Amino acid sequence: MSSILQSVKRAQVDWRMVLMSGVLVVVALIFNILSDGIFMSPENLYNIAQQTAVVGILATVMVLVIVTRHIDLSVGSVMGFVGVLIAYLMYSENWSWQAASATGLAASVIVYAYQGALVSFLGVPAFVVTLGGLMSFRGAAYIVADGKTQPIADPFFLKLGGGFNGGIGTTASWTIGAILCVGLMLSMLSKRRAKKAYGVPTNSLFVDGLLVLLPMLIVVAFVSVMNSYQILNKPEAQGIPIPVLIWGAVAMFMSFLVHRTRFGRYIFAMGGNPDAAALVGIPVRRVTMLLFLLLSVLTTIAAIVAISRLNAGTNSLGNNAELLVIAATVIGGTALAGGSGTIIGSVLGALIMQCIDSGMLLLDVSIGTRYVVIGQVLIAAVVFDVAYRKWTGDVL
Amino acid sequence: MSSTMTPSQAAVGTDTSRCLVELRNINKAFGGVQAVDDVSLNLYPGEVVAVLGHNGAGKSTLMKMLAGAYPIDSGDVVISGEKVSVRTPSDAQALGIESIYQTLALADNLDSVANLFLGRELLTSWRTLDDHRMDAEARKVFHRLNKNFTNVRIPVRRLSGGQRQVVAISRAIYFNARILIMDEPTAALGPEETAMVGNLIQQLKAEGVGIFLISHDMHDVFALSDRVAVMKNGRMVGTYNTKDVTEDEVLGMIISGKKPDGKAQAPRHPTTTA
Repeated sequence: MSSILQSVKRAQVDWRMVLMSGVLVVVALIFNILSDGIFMSPENLYNIAQQTAVVGILATVMVLVIVTRHIDLSVGSVMGFVGVLIAYLMYSENWSWQAASATGLAASVIVYAYQGALVSFLGVPAFVVTLGGLMSFRGAAYIVADGKTQPIADPFFLKLGGGFNGGIGTTASWTIGAILCVGLMLSMLSKRRAKKAYGVPTNSLFVDGLLVLLPMLIVVAFVSVMNSYQILNKPEAQGIPIPVLIWGAVAMFMSFLVHRTRFGRYIFAMGGNPDAAALVGIPVRRVTMLLFLLLSVLTTIAAIVAISRLNAGTNSLGNNAELLVIAATVIGGTALAGGSGTIIGSVLGALIMQCIDSGMLLLDVSIGTRYVVIGQVLIAAVVFDVAYRKWTGDVL
Repeated sequence: MSSTMTPSQAAVGTDTSRCLVELRNINKAFGGVQAVDDVSLNLYPGEVVAVLGHNGAGKSTLMKMLAGAYPIDSGDVVISGEKVSVRTPSDAQALGIESIYQTLALADNLDSVANLFLGRELLTSWRTLDDHRMDAEARKVFHRLNKNFTNVRIPVRRLSGGQRQVVAISRAIYFNARILIMDEPTAALGPEETAMVGNLIQQLKAEGVGIFLISHDMHDVFALSDRVAVMKNGRMVGTYNTKDVTEDEVLGMIISGKKPDGKAQAPRHPTTTA
């Protein structure tokens, strides 16, 4: 037993993530008790999952922006602008969703190329550039459709936002769950094999087994909950909502960028020590520019999901979204000083925030109180972050 | 190397063709301040040239230009008889120029392995990071420098000064530097680690690496260098064989810019000796 404890101690485990998962579970359990079991009903969990998707998608990329010591305050406004533009092209101009989305992406790329060039080539602080963007692109969102709401009717497009027809069904959900589980096992096996081949010390089999089994358990639990939510008069249960699927795919892609590519490594090096990054020959400007282009793509994806969820594009789409996104990122353990943050942390951060908000909504807490609480949760998260870093000696 | 040399380069004379680095009439101004003023300096294989001067004398600026960290206003850099342009740190690295900065230029949030390969990561055939190969290679280099250095996967901010120095020096060794710039390599080190750096310099000299050593420690300078080059206010005061000058004479040059009486400068820039 003591040898197992030893191996757990020595293993490379991200205790912060373990702790945050614990917080999420505790929050869910408390709301579940207070709401007499409604909070953890499949219906509520399904709704929370799909409600978090838009903020969650943007939070994955905000992690990288904050890691490089920048910030993007314009993300909500750009999302509103792009969303209204896509909806306008489809509704008022009768474009196909493909053409409208491509045009929306192009607009987003131009917006972020402009902001990115100011930040990376002219050295204007991102805070100022995107603060200007926050106002300008909210105005642009108004100009596009002259402030008129643009409804969305395309049946395929509506599915992207989740809702009534937005689940992928039980069979597809189980298939995806199975693929994820197999992928988790294979990746751990190949990791262990590679470590052994190069003589790098590995975790004990017990720890690595745990590190595979726990995520697998979460995947299975998630799929089975989503599969047990059946809307009245529908022949089949919902399954995984499409926006959550998109969010998951985005988070996996971003994790891949962070851990497996030069781009990700450079992002963290630039955040940790910008001078050193330049001295060792990292193309800092090009990497910053690429980061802003990545922002443009993810903002477009988030905009599409947001207008599909809303069934319309309005000029207020994404109001305050930048604050929710930054809050989710910070609650997820990303340090505003730069150089430190994780994608999975942003996922947990977004979920914790949404759970607290939805939970209070379920308990009929007034909007004023909800804002008060969410704001203090943000501060509590940062206080914890500071204390945690002191405790582990990882002072920034 | 010699097989690729053209006849015209070989005809310049054995002295020049043997020369590893020639800095010719280098100038650099920051705003209105002439940081480096018409400075020429050369370096031969297996030689340690100590570059000395007060803070602000221009020595670090001169070295940063050779390392590609600052663009050169005017003047030529000649490496092994060939005029080259060093505009970025990557250019310098491609020419075999490695630098160890006083600040060590480490990303504190990344681990030692990531820092060793920063900017030059080993990739798999899928163009993704080959983490395990980098890990294994890094452990070999670190082991060569410090046998007790095994916690290579924690952020370098949690390492000791000596271990951080090992990481910075490992970059120069792993990528087979021909020309090494060391800016105050022992400033933050204890006696044991200082001795390690000294041994390393001797070892690299024997392998034919040319080293520019920036240091304020006169003991290090006289123990390790073959020549001293003293700068003051952006200008080169003079270059001497270390064994020809005394510590007082060197300090005199650093403080007042006064050349020692009756001492021959050696060896001078080949094109100006004619």
